[in-house]
Amino acid sequence: MTDVSKVYSNGSVALSDVSVNIAEGDFVFVVGPSGAGKSTFIKLIFREEWPTNGQIIVNGRNITELSLREVPFLRRGLGIVFQDYRLLPNKSVHENVAFAMEVIEAPRREIQKRVNHVLELVGLRDLARNLPSELSGGEQQRVAIARAIVNKPRVVIADEPTGNLDPDTSWEIMKIFEKINEDGTTLVMATHDKTVVDAMKRRVIAIEKGRIVRDEAIGVYGYEG
Amino acid sequence: MKVRTVEYFIREAIVSLKRNGLMSIASVSTVALSMLILGLFLVMVLNLNHMASVLESQVQISVYLQDNLSDREMREVGTKITKLPGVTMVTFVGKEEAMTRFKQRLGEQQGLLSALGDTNPLPNGFEVKVDKPEMVKPTAQAIAQFKGIETTKFGQEVVEHLFSLTKMVRWFGVLLILFLALAALFIISNTIRITVFARRKEIGIMKYVGATDWFIRWPFLIEGVILGLGGALIAVFLLAEAYGMLTSKVYESLAFLPLIPRSPFIANISGLLLVLGAMIGALGSTISLRRFMKV
Ligand SMILES: Nc1ncnc2c1ncn2[C@@H]1O[C@H](COP(=O)(O)OP(=O)(O)OP(=O)(O)O)[C@@H](O)[C@H]1O
Ligand SMILES: [Mg+2]
Repeated sequence: MTDVSKVYSNGSVALSDVSVNIAEGDFVFVVGPSGAGKSTFIKLIFREEWPTNGQIIVNGRNITELSLREVPFLRRGLGIVFQDYRLLPNKSVHENVAFAMEVIEAPRREIQKRVNHVLELVGLRDLARNLPSELSGGEQQRVAIARAIVNKPRVVIADEPTGNLDPDTSWEIMKIFEKINEDGTTLVMATHDKTVVDAMKRRVIAIEKGRIVRDEAIGVYGYEG
Repeated sequence: MKVRTVEYFIREAIVSLKRNGLMSIASVSTVALSMLILGLFLVMVLNLNHMASVLESQVQISVYLQDNLSDREMREVGTKITKLPGVTMVTFVGKEEAMTRFKQRLGEQQGLLSALGDTNPLPNGFEVKVDKPEMVKPTAQAIAQFKGIETTKFGQEVVEHLFSLTKMVRWFGVLLILFLALAALFIISNTIRITVFARRKEIGIMKYVGATDWFIRWPFLIEGVILGLGGALIAVFLLAEAYGMLTSKVYESLAFLPLIPRSPFIANISGLLLVLGAMIGALGSTISLRRFMKV
């Protein structure tokens, strides 16, 4: 990401002149106070938002040059996890995860194999037939993570994935992320969660008022709250 | 595109048709109504046109002779007419023959004629047929120049009336159809809008996991096409039934009315209506997708 700025159409400046390089296989936290621009940072990576200025290269492609038709193919190389899980309420756990493969027209056998594999990975094999409403928040987030990684993305991005969870559950989620990262997947996670960041001892990029104020290889959260 | 994907699209479309129950029915009915009216107008305009041209080709010239001609003079006029270019048939219609025909035409109102007593005011005349419709007018004018002719008349006026009636009906029909097509378009796009809205979350997730816009669009397009096609099918069915009934009634009692035979006429119109219905459906959902989902 080079010299990236983002000014929303209402004039609010979310990011200004941000340059970072996140290497393949990295595990990066993006931290900062509310309104600092963390979510914007995440949204720029999967082209939910366009940068006002600058270049963003994801998986070797300059995504600022991407046409609308190419955006879906960018996203197939990314796994995205949100704070609010975003599961389909009328589909089972298994179907929710399989959905991500169905919409990219993966072969049926492949879907069966992969879905079982990732549900195993997040520890939800036994709940595969349940509906999201029958799961706890932590379990729902694990479903969302399973869905994010089922298409074997090279990068997983997460915007406050533990924002709605208690510390113990957050910790379980982080363990899963760590496992995913160990398999070589790059992980970028925006978070408020001081305990998590401090305990993980990973690279921390701190953003304040749209600018990078700190970038440490093994960082701590560094703010109160 | 894979067979399984197509199955998925159709399944999704049907699920949402069911979920939209009442709106779906309203859409189908609107399309059916507009397509039916469009069909009726087409049938009417085409039949009027058909009638006009059939009548035109059958038009004959009535020649009325002056009252004071002798039999020989009348025969001479007849021979002269026969020699005109394009004339195929010349029939003599005497005063008595003319009166008999007139009485027949009056039917039950023959009583009106009693006022005439024994006099017969009708003239002697000829009926002249020509080989081509466009020869009617010049031939009639040529005959009018002959000695001993009172007047000549031909059915041109009727034909022209029919044509101008067709034109009026056509314009009115075009306006009405345009209006109805817009109404159908509006209601279909509204139905699809509701579907899109109900599934915005799902659409959002599809986008995040990398579904292409076309993949997202297809189920909605299919839903729209089913609505449009369904409505058109109902219209086609009603129209075919109605026209079948009309033609058999007319053949029974008004055999002289030249209607276009049911087949393949109705099949062609049906094809047109079905294509149009499907197009309105597809267009309706495209409008909604563009406006409300940006996909
Ligand atoms: N869609 C939008 N339109 C206009 N302004 C926006 C939009 N999204 C965010 N902003 C503004 O951009 C700035 C950065 O927002 P962003 O969501 O990136 O912050 P954040 O660091 O994720 O905050 P939080 O920790 O509360 O989630 C804020 O001032 C916000 O008001
Ligand atoms: Mg945020």
